[in-house]
Amino acid sequence: MTNLTAVLSMINDFSKKYGYPFPVKKEELYSWAEDLSLPKKGETILYTGGLYQLIPYIEPLVDFLDKRSSLLKLGKVGVMASSFAKMILKPKEDLKKVSEGVLKNIAKLLLNVNKKIAFLYKKELYNGALLYDFGLDNTFAEHIQKVYRILKESGAKEVITVDPHSTNILRSIAPRYIEKYDIEVKSYIEVLNEKLENGVLKPKRLVSERIVIHDPCLYARFEGIIEQPRKLLEKAGYHVLEPPNSRKLTYCCGGLLESIVPELAREIALTRISELKELSKNVVTLCPICFINLRRVAPPDVKIDDISVYLAKAYL
Amino acid sequence: MVIRRVSLKFEDVLKNIMKITKNEDFKKGIKISVNNFEMKIREVFEKYPEINQLAEEIRETKKSVINNMDVYLDRAVTSMKKLGAHVYIAETAEDAREIINNIVGRNKLIVMSKSMIAEEIGLREYLEKIGNEVWETDLGQFLVQLEEGKPMHPIIPAIHISRKRAALLLEEKLGIKVPDSEKIENIVKKVREFLRDKIKNADVGISGANSIAADTGAIFLVENEGNIRLVTGMPPKHIVVTGIEKIVPSMIDAFKTVIVQAANIAIYPPTYIDILVGPSSTADIEQHRVYGAQGPMELHVILIDNGRKNALKHEFLKEQLRCVKCGRCLIECPVWRISANIWGGPVYGGPMGINWTAITLGEEEASELAHLCLSCGRCYEVCPMKIPLHEMIRHLKNVYNKKHNIIK
Repeated sequence: MTNLTAVLSMINDFSKKYGYPFPVKKEELYSWAEDLSLPKKGETILYTGGLYQLIPYIEPLVDFLDKRSSLLKLGKVGVMASSFAKMILKPKEDLKKVSEGVLKNIAKLLLNVNKKIAFLYKKELYNGALLYDFGLDNTFAEHIQKVYRILKESGAKEVITVDPHSTNILRSIAPRYIEKYDIEVKSYIEVLNEKLENGVLKPKRLVSERIVIHDPCLYARFEGIIEQPRKLLEKAGYHVLEPPNSRKLTYCCGGLLESIVPELAREIALTRISELKELSKNVVTLCPICFINLRRVAPPDVKIDDISVYLAKAYL
Repeated sequence: MVIRRVSLKFEDVLKNIMKITKNEDFKKGIKISVNNFEMKIREVFEKYPEINQLAEEIRETKKSVINNMDVYLDRAVTSMKKLGAHVYIAETAEDAREIINNIVGRNKLIVMSKSMIAEEIGLREYLEKIGNEVWETDLGQFLVQLEEGKPMHPIIPAIHISRKRAALLLEEKLGIKVPDSEKIENIVKKVREFLRDKIKNADVGISGANSIAADTGAIFLVENEGNIRLVTGMPPKHIVVTGIEKIVPSMIDAFKTVIVQAANIAIYPPTYIDILVGPSSTADIEQHRVYGAQGPMELHVILIDNGRKNALKHEFLKEQLRCVKCGRCLIECPVWRISANIWGGPVYGGPMGINWTAITLGEEEASELAHLCLSCGRCYEVCPMKIPLHEMIRHLKNVYNKKHNIIK
């Protein structure tokens, strides 16, 4: 059973000390972009917020929390945070490949529409979503100032995000914490859709698969990103099916509860997957958290894939 | 599985939630209700889209009441007194119970219509403890009373009780055998017979209020079962217990409020909307007014504060005072669909439960369970009063983090 205080302390203390909420090796978070040789400064920065890269660490994290429950129960999180080197989690290799593939797809899709993007590589920081959602406000405030400063120092006027949490944090939350916030934030889905509408982006091949879309809560309810992914998929020939709870009434995958109460998050994910699989065995997600939560409970014949995989098939 | 008391401790609640995930009856009950609700709510809003407009109007009205509560409270009290009602303002739950004790006394037969604020002040248990016979008359709440449990939803309290369990409760607790109990109609008939007798002989009827019009003192109640009409109409004394946040400026506002509430829990059109203005009276003989013609001769209205006035001054919590307690945020919440009212607090469940717990018991009390919220915002999306429930809960998470020195 979760020790709430201890897990929250861990997320807080690790974020403060290392910029990421869990003990992960930083080099592994940007290795996906090494062979793309993107510039490290520029007016338009591709910001990943570290979320896709954390996917392969979720299971090792749960295991880590379990094994160290005695330390957690004693509240010795400080001890854990200070012996960071010994605690670094090992990512799951198959998921590392998936997450790297998604990020590569996104970068290539943007380069394909002649978008000049820079990437911060080792300077990139976590988006702070867990800090915000868990009400760790002081740490979030400090953290997001740091993220903003690094983006500005790198010349950012426009930031392209790859997931709903980074989009929401940078576009809707950060301006509440930072005075004179002047970075324009767009999700890559919005950028690609704009290019589709003005004719720059065209599918290279049509894929006539039937797929069911799972809207992420933040895109659908808070960032107005509902039609754009559907248009991108439908233009590419996909037949997009709508589950009973979709668009603004989309149903959570279990979300952030995964990191504090995986057993409950699993129940919620099961409810959602049972709605989705009724319509198609091919489920499209647009968020790394949805991807991992739904994937964990999906029956073997149900395939969960990130939207970038579907877009890459048609547009690259 | 009977939930008698809901803990405010994260670990206890999580343990109970995981227990009910293995209880097929409980799960089935919630699933059936949720499925019916999803189907009906779509129909209601497709057919009567004007409800959205009404909700928007009430939202603004309630904002202005919250900013001028003292004015509207005074106005409501004056209006109700003018019509012959006895009006009391109770600062705490204890004060409210004491006032009711003085009105009711002992050895009385009391019938109640379902009221969340009665739950909030522990009224039924209190009245029983001091020596009265008390019966809930809403079928769901009656079943919850029989199982000595806790309502699992403010409008659908017995969401977790199957037909089989309902018939068993009647037999075990009251010795009432239901013939062919597979037929829900037979269960309803037996309960009707039992409760009719109680209502007919009751000394006191106790109801809540869905809204109160400050201009006239009119009390609005909305229902399907018809029990409220009987509870508020038959016994010689009628007591209304209600929170001060139920006050709206006018009769029209009060009417709109009950419409919005009923529609948002997919009970639309509701079978009955009851409007009570003072005790029953007649002046048919020589224009001499006599109270208690066919309805109650006394009407007592207890307006309960219990943390609400403090919430008026709170940056976040004051938003919750717009709540019409339709319970839609619960039924749309992915966590609640697993937990029912096991999560939220001892009285109110789900997202609104967390915030009402903070209002009535204190922010720190509610803060631990706040951490079971997904922050998915579905509650905010569907709330007819557009209460930023998820943001308020996030604030409570922050309260917990400070209390436990997680953040300095």
